Amino acid sequence: MKSDNSLRKLEGLHTAETATERLGISRQSALNMLSKLKKEGYVTVSGGGRRKRLYKITMRKQRPREKGMFDIINKYSPMKIAEWYDHQVHGTYGPEEALVDALQTNSFRVILASMRLFSHITDWSKLYRLAKEKDCWQKVGALYDVARLSFKIKRMPRRYYHNGHGRWRKLSQLKKKNFPQISEKWHVYIPFNQKDLEEMR
Amino acid sequence: MITHEDQLELFKLISDSIAKDMECWAFGGNAMMFYGYKDETKDVDLLFDHEEDRAEFIKALEKLGFWETGLSNIYVPEKLKDKYKPLMYTRYDIRFDLFVKKVFKTAISPKMREDVYAVHDFKGKRNLRIKVLRKEFIVLLKSVTERDKDFEDILTIAKKDKRFDWQYLIDEVIWQHQHGDNLVLLDAEKTIKELKKYVFVEQKYLKQLYAVLNKR
Repeated sequence: MKSDNSLRKLEGLHTAETATERLGISRQSALNMLSKLKKEGYVTVSGGGRRKRLYKITMRKQRPREKGMFDIINKYSPMKIAEWYDHQVHGTYGPEEALVDALQTNSFRVILASMRLFSHITDWSKLYRLAKEKDCWQKVGALYDVARLSFKIKRMPRRYYHNGHGRWRKLSQLKKKNFPQISEKWHVYIPFNQKDLEEMR
Repeated sequence: MITHEDQLELFKLISDSIAKDMECWAFGGNAMMFYGYKDETKDVDLLFDHEEDRAEFIKALEKLGFWETGLSNIYVPEKLKDKYKPLMYTRYDIRFDLFVKKVFKTAISPKMREDVYAVHDFKGKRNLRIKVLRKEFIVLLKSVTERDKDFEDILTIAKKDKRFDWQYLIDEVIWQHQHGDNLVLLDAEKTIKELKKYVFVEQKYLKQLYAVLNKR
């Protein structure tokens, strides 16, 4: 109960000083309280060393996170995505899985940002298998060709570089053929233009 | 009782046992554990979009030693007549309430589908995707299920979350009412009235419910 009241008073971002002031107790007592709350899972700490130590305090327990699609994209892409839901994967998850998941979102920005993942694909057979399972290999191929136009990426092994001539697919809601040659080759509508790609460089 | 860590382990084991990829919605105490509102729960509530997915999930549960059990001491008698009542599986003191398509008369609305709080993928041999509903929807579905500790859970959410969006909840209640759930207005009204004894809820939200009730 005592912790509950302290949490209610402290909810938000604090330094040791602001927490001391808010609780109206000595600095050492405030630090002890923060340490106790941290053990219980209500506080996470960032900073330290040269930077000021910041305590993020919530009424809910802050669970340890597993990495998800947004984490992988934001790690590798210069264009950062604000996640609109918390995606976490319990198990093996890398750029190959994240790329296929990004294509499933049909989101313009997520797919654009995910292009950078091609630089980190190491297991092309895995990417091919996952994309085939989700029926999106054409999209992967088209995105790969567009990505190659704007930055250096690893070459896809020739045995996977085929489209199979499926029906026309849309990357996002937009039905545009901005890179006509690539579009026709993979039967995929490409919504991105040259300016979008410049953001990714 | 099942803890958050046990729940994650259990889902991981289930993802190893299922024969196809599947997804379901979490909305009970288990969803609250994903949020961090509580540490353990008795019932794991899941809603499936397809009957085949639930059947496959049940197969995996049975492999793990769970067995089917009756609903009679858990739900109020009128809920037991409902077409969309859950199947219940238990092992020791862990219970799974497995719904398909609807939670009694309440369906997953387009807003619920679009506006999820979290998506947890458990990658075993196949992928088990658990979508955690927003807290407002959890409150709504907990008012509908009316089990022993449901109100306690609703109160926990209302007390712990400063940013609880009451208007969002009311909008959803009205949507559900307009789409065939004839009890949701009464369930929501009862819950909010009870909540007002413990937390501050503006009267304007109840007024919106009464306005719809009066139109009936």
